Amino acid sequence: MSKFTDIDIDSGVVRRAARGDAHAHAILYRAFSSPVYSICLRFTRVPAQAEDLLQETFMEVIRSLPAFRGEAPIGSWIRRIAVTKALMFLRSAWHSRGQSLDDDWDDLTPGRAGALGVSAEPDRALDLDAALATLPPVGRAVVWLHDVEGFTHREIADYMGKTESFSKSQLSRAYQRLRPLLEAETAATASTAALDDPVLGQC
Amino acid sequence: MTDDGQDDMLTVGLGSAERELLQAKLGLLPDTPPPHAVWQRIERQARAEGLMRAPGHRTSFKWLSGAGLAAAVVLAVLNFEALPPQATPEATGSDRTFPTEPSYRADNRAVRVRKLHALMVESQLLEQDLRALPSEPVVVRAGTAATIAAVQDQIAAIDYRLNYAPPRLTHDETELYWRERVRLMNLLVQLRMAQAQRNAF
Repeated sequence: MSKFTDIDIDSGVVRRAARGDAHAHAILYRAFSSPVYSICLRFTRVPAQAEDLLQETFMEVIRSLPAFRGEAPIGSWIRRIAVTKALMFLRSAWHSRGQSLDDDWDDLTPGRAGALGVSAEPDRALDLDAALATLPPVGRAVVWLHDVEGFTHREIADYMGKTESFSKSQLSRAYQRLRPLLEAETAATASTAALDDPVLGQC
Repeated sequence: MTDDGQDDMLTVGLGSAERELLQAKLGLLPDTPPPHAVWQRIERQARAEGLMRAPGHRTSFKWLSGAGLAAAVVLAVLNFEALPPQATPEATGSDRTFPTEPSYRADNRAVRVRKLHALMVESQLLEQDLRALPSEPVVVRAGTAATIAAVQDQIAAIDYRLNYAPPRLTHDETELYWRERVRLMNLLVQLRMAQAQRNAF
């Protein structure tokens, strides 16, 4: 499901990039910059911060590529760096606000929501991107890592320096928040299907 | 996919239809391409750190000598500060001098110097980014202006500490100050960028 692992890069390009070849680095950047930027943007919701994280991620890629052994696909390796950078950012942002990673759900009053980069009006969330914006950053990150990148709760817990229960709890709370939107969508899909049905449509 | 999906079904209470819908829709969300300027920043920084070279292009003597000279100056200054006093031949009564610390320590110092150099380069690049932004608008938000002034004051204090204030800093302290300077410069660029964007509308 993850776009990172779908991207196929020739091993010769990786070897050339490891030797510092600018053209090879440009190929890697062209291939992976959008998924990296997207994941950073989904975690932070602030373009300037996502750009900084993208730059930090690729600087780390450039510095560490000579040590890359190729045991995992290059996409997974870059994704790991991007996720680590983005989560470190979330942790540092929380730290600077004097909050822990655990208590961001309770403080999500409309007044604070804007300050946290969160939409204050979940009822008006018309698409999934807007619905995700109603989640606090850590919950959003857990949903993304679990449901899109395919990370297990143990892996998420390791990345966040938390327990598996923390990851599960974050996912559960995120699902609870998203449930009304998803139910409405499922019901709409079901009613459309019923109208399309020649028998049920006559009822 | 995850190996703990069954467990999730038990704990999250989300119906399978909703969950499938969520995962399918999440997977279909399009990627956002980053602004072109980010690659230029990366390329500039990588070249400045000597991590990237043009394909099939031999490193030019001019660049090599310039970078080498700069690195030599930084290394000389840092080594002068960081090196413990070595035993002289007169003191030991021997013509041979022996290393006073294991080789891995010397390697480690080289890495630290490179890290410090990277911070200096990053700081310089941020200064360039800041200069590239349009000049500060005449009408500004008081809160933003106050924050910018506070950040500028902190940077000025760090510059003073790095350049003038006694006593001399250790390598670790110098690195700490440079790291903080980069962090503050990043913040300043973001604030000024936000200010410029607001002003553009």
